[in-house]
Amino acid sequence: MEDLGLIHQLIVPLFGHKMTFNIDVIVMTWIVIFALICFGVFATRQKSRLPGPLQVVGELFVKHLFELTEDALGKRLSKKYAPLICALFMFLLLSNWLGIIPHLEEPTKDLNTPLSLGIMGFFLTHTAAIREKGFFPYIAEFARPFFIMLPLNIVGELAKVVSISFRLFGNIMGEDLVLAILLFLAGKFLAPVPMMFLAIFTSFVQAFIFSLLTMMYIAGSLEESH
Amino acid sequence: MLSTFFVLGMAPLAFAQVDPTVAASGMKLFAAVVTAAGFGIGIAAFGTGIGQGIAIKGAVEGTARNPEASGKITVTMLIGLAMVESLCIYALVVALILLYAYPMAAPVAKMIGLPL
Repeated sequence: MEDLGLIHQLIVPLFGHKMTFNIDVIVMTWIVIFALICFGVFATRQKSRLPGPLQVVGELFVKHLFELTEDALGKRLSKKYAPLICALFMFLLLSNWLGIIPHLEEPTKDLNTPLSLGIMGFFLTHTAAIREKGFFPYIAEFARPFFIMLPLNIVGELAKVVSISFRLFGNIMGEDLVLAILLFLAGKFLAPVPMMFLAIFTSFVQAFIFSLLTMMYIAGSLEESH
Repeated sequence: MLSTFFVLGMAPLAFAQVDPTVAASGMKLFAAVVTAAGFGIGIAAFGTGIGQGIAIKGAVEGTARNPEASGKITVTMLIGLAMVESLCIYALVVALILLYAYPMAAPVAKMIGLPL
């Protein structure tokens, strides 16, 4: 219990400021990236009409997420954004499930991972809308119908980033903390095992919610003005 | 009265050489912070329980009316539950900050005399 919050950090001094690298989180993210690339390579190796197991899983992901994106964005735009939503979902699913393997921990447990994905989603929504509608018409949309709505809409956009990141971070870190405390308190009676079943389910739901919300924010910023 | 109790209670404990009145006020602050964390998450869980119960009520009524649409209703219900749960998660994050990453933890620990 003493090393509950211990992270290995690499602190690099750079011109008077310090850059900190959280080594644990970085290595776990590398493991996730490597696993996803291996899955991608092996799933598309011999595409046949009678698919093998990896190809079936890949087709499951692609079919459902591409349909979901087409429902929200329409056919033309979903060609651009559906691969991104699918990749985001697969990355988050594997990241959230990585804690089940012993000695590995979820990279989304640290606030940096969900926050950076949330900021990426923020830039995606606004760039997509500016590309479709033009810069000044899009900015003018924030100030409709009254000019007083401009600060409210700006705060709303920032609140979207904060809420989406903290939802994922809080769920995964909270689940991990509950498992650690249960293990410390009642590890002899295998108390964490039912909680781990719940953790598998909520990790899946949170990965799905994150990608679904990112897609809905993109769709929301692209729709016609009020 | 309470501070006298804390001062008398702290006297036999000797973590480090520290002024007992300062240690008492540090202990009071620690007790207040822990109470706030506990009550915060309790109230948040109360509201979340009611909100999620109403969401599930709507979903079950919709499925009872139209069993064919149960797949879509279940997916929508899960998304709604995750939205409501996130409000409780914000309160949990605040409680955890209070308990583990309290910004004044080091000065308060020095006041109490804990080796932090």
